[in-house]
Amino acid sequence: MKRTIGTTLISLLMAGSALAAGETLNIGMGSADAGKLDPHVATSTPDKGLLHWMFNGLVRIKPGEASPANIEPDIAESWTASEDGLTWTFKLREDVECHGDYGPLDAEDVVYSLNRSANADVSAFAKDYTAFDSVEATGDYEVTIKLKNPVPSLLGMLVPYHGGNIVCKDAVEALGADFERTPIGTGPFMFDEYQPQQYVKLVANPEYFRGEPKIKEIYYRYIPSDASRDLAFQSGEIDMIYGKQDQTWVERISKIPGTKVAVMKPGEMSVIHLNMTMPPLDDVRVRRAVAHAVNRDAMVQFKGPDVTLAAVSPVPEGYLGFTDDVPTYEYSIEKAKALLAEAGHPDGVTIKAIHTTLPGMITTMEAIQALLREADINLEIETVEHATFHEQIRKDLSQVTHYSAARFPVADTYLTQFFHSDSIVGTPTAVTNFSHCAVADDEITGARVATDPEKQLELWAEAQRKIMDEVCAIPIVQSLQLWAWKDTLDLGVEVNGSLNLSPPVTEAAHFTE
Amino acid sequence: MTAFVLKRLGFAVITLFAVLTIVFFIVRILPGDPAMAILGDQASQEALVALRARLGLDQPLYVQYVQFLGGVIVGDWGVSMVSGRPVIQEILKVLPATLELTIVSLILGAVVGVPLGVWSAVRRNKLPDYITRMASLLGLSFPAFVSAVLLLLVFAIQLRWFPVISSGQGTTLGERLRDLALPAINLGLIMAAYITRVARSAMLEVLNQDYVRTAYAKGLAFATIIWRHCLRNAMIPVVTVVGLYLGILIGNSVLTEIVFNRPGLGKLIIGALNQRDYTMLQGMMVIYTLIVVLVNLLTDLTYGLIDPRIKYS
Repeated sequence: MKRTIGTTLISLLMAGSALAAGETLNIGMGSADAGKLDPHVATSTPDKGLLHWMFNGLVRIKPGEASPANIEPDIAESWTASEDGLTWTFKLREDVECHGDYGPLDAEDVVYSLNRSANADVSAFAKDYTAFDSVEATGDYEVTIKLKNPVPSLLGMLVPYHGGNIVCKDAVEALGADFERTPIGTGPFMFDEYQPQQYVKLVANPEYFRGEPKIKEIYYRYIPSDASRDLAFQSGEIDMIYGKQDQTWVERISKIPGTKVAVMKPGEMSVIHLNMTMPPLDDVRVRRAVAHAVNRDAMVQFKGPDVTLAAVSPVPEGYLGFTDDVPTYEYSIEKAKALLAEAGHPDGVTIKAIHTTLPGMITTMEAIQALLREADINLEIETVEHATFHEQIRKDLSQVTHYSAARFPVADTYLTQFFHSDSIVGTPTAVTNFSHCAVADDEITGARVATDPEKQLELWAEAQRKIMDEVCAIPIVQSLQLWAWKDTLDLGVEVNGSLNLSPPVTEAAHFTE
Repeated sequence: MTAFVLKRLGFAVITLFAVLTIVFFIVRILPGDPAMAILGDQASQEALVALRARLGLDQPLYVQYVQFLGGVIVGDWGVSMVSGRPVIQEILKVLPATLELTIVSLILGAVVGVPLGVWSAVRRNKLPDYITRMASLLGLSFPAFVSAVLLLLVFAIQLRWFPVISSGQGTTLGERLRDLALPAINLGLIMAAYITRVARSAMLEVLNQDYVRTAYAKGLAFATIIWRHCLRNAMIPVVTVVGLYLGILIGNSVLTEIVFNRPGLGKLIIGALNQRDYTMLQGMMVIYTLIVVLVNLLTDLTYGLIDPRIKYS
């Protein structure tokens, strides 16, 4: 009798726990809650990852890839550019429908959307669109973009990423402030419900122009605890999870039967920026000595060979414009010591870094500290909380800055933000140039406005060579994005990368069982 | 009695004012920039300056302070700097979940802790006493997030009795119990450990009193002596401890909510701290302070119910 009561009680408790399988995709994201779900405002990985499945751009990067070299049509079925690269005309598909009752999407919507992206009052990405002179509807389904000056990759700015996501004019105007809680796009999945701190539910868009998605519901669940997320995946409640950038995570999660682990680009590149205005780092020989003392192979082993790539150039591998034809500094303690002696520091030097306490980053910095010690370079690390770290390094307080970042994969973004003199920290136009590097300004600016792609690539390559020659910074490793999902989930494409950092869940994704 | 309650409420207002002032300045002394937390690390200086102006962070501190206090008095707690939604709405949406967890844990702690404490005191220095003391020590020394993961491993992964993530929207009694069971056990057992130790020592003191010996001498039944005469007199320290430890319970509920993925104040405060959401942090501190002040008041009033000799003046 007791056993019967126990069994009944457990059955009662478990009733309702089974989530519908087959057409419902449960995704576990490492975040406590949703932020702003307006694609022109969202900057965080969890928000961008979700919006990825709800919006289209004029063009898109082929699903499963991250490089702008793989651009293909999306809302625009074709396009032409003038010879000077300043006028672009896009012919739109006529079968694109906005989610809900907001009707078909036409040129007016696209014009409204791109102007909205360029408006600093409502868009976090307005700066990316400052080269836009005008965006006009030159037909019901034709849009013409005129530029003030050529840009490194106009098509790259029109993929569904940040400001390139196309919103529907009627929806934004009708919803007003509510738009950031009820995003309306044209993509394969539509916003359905938001439960604070629990999930956002998306449903299939039956009107999607590439066909109705096979998966009918997506629950994007906010699970901030790494352990709980892994356990939920292990118990089968979650079909796909956001992983930790950690070799041990890959090893552990791979052991769960029926699991597919995806290692995706773009990677976050760890770079050590050396402040060229502060002694002793104002001497290029000292900077070269530091570069010789870093053993990149050891760092890849340390961070995990399955989840990291060695970095050789100041632009991450896979970005449009990347070159590995740059001066390199092979690991050599003797050379490092000789360079230090030549620079007048036969007994070594002490350099200081303000550093975040973020576990993934501090372990990297401590490993570098140990490597540098071999060459009599004493790296003193002052640790501060992460938000404080960001504040202090931007006040130009750190001699050595370890920064880890992923950017839109075109060489210009990385080069401009980290190595152009306009971006030097502590100046009114500051972004993230911590090293005060100004050795490749001409090449970076020249490439930005170059109309000949070959010339542009050459200028970017030259910029990378100059930065490495002067050792403004030392690239260490690239940490790739990690996700895992059940092998019964077929995404319909091979997944090598994702610009929005979440796997491509498109109309083709389905469960095989 | 009414005068007592009014006086205490008056003190509560002063406490609240002090807490609000301290919180207002502390969150602003914290290094870190809400504008950067919102716009991300690629934001330009112009965008950061514009956002700070929009959030009112470019105003002098005293202006912000006066606006904030004025807002709190008229019930306007502002909007979250990160989500843009009204703070009070955000808090009220998840507050019931935290209260539900805390109250159920408290009841569970009392239901387990009081009888165990009494049993342990009555069987002093015998096997049951040793076992209870060991178990309560274990409960006290186990961090809430470790016990939470262990509970998940055993009951969700091995036995599969419960899900790892709660649905957070259970409508039937069965679903609500299922969502609540493991988090409440996790917190309740920690609470039980505290209560057991206090109940035991309070009972030991009462058991040595003359009137207990008299009761035995009169030939009263053992159960009557323990439950009617001893326990009632031992309850005042237990109630005090329950009131005091409610703060610890709320602190542990933050970790428990994160591990069991329950909605609640815990997830809200972690997000607000990480993103320097000043308005949200301030709103949450008001709520926490209110809860602590109210619980203290209730604790004081409970003394009178337990012991009629206590008079409020």
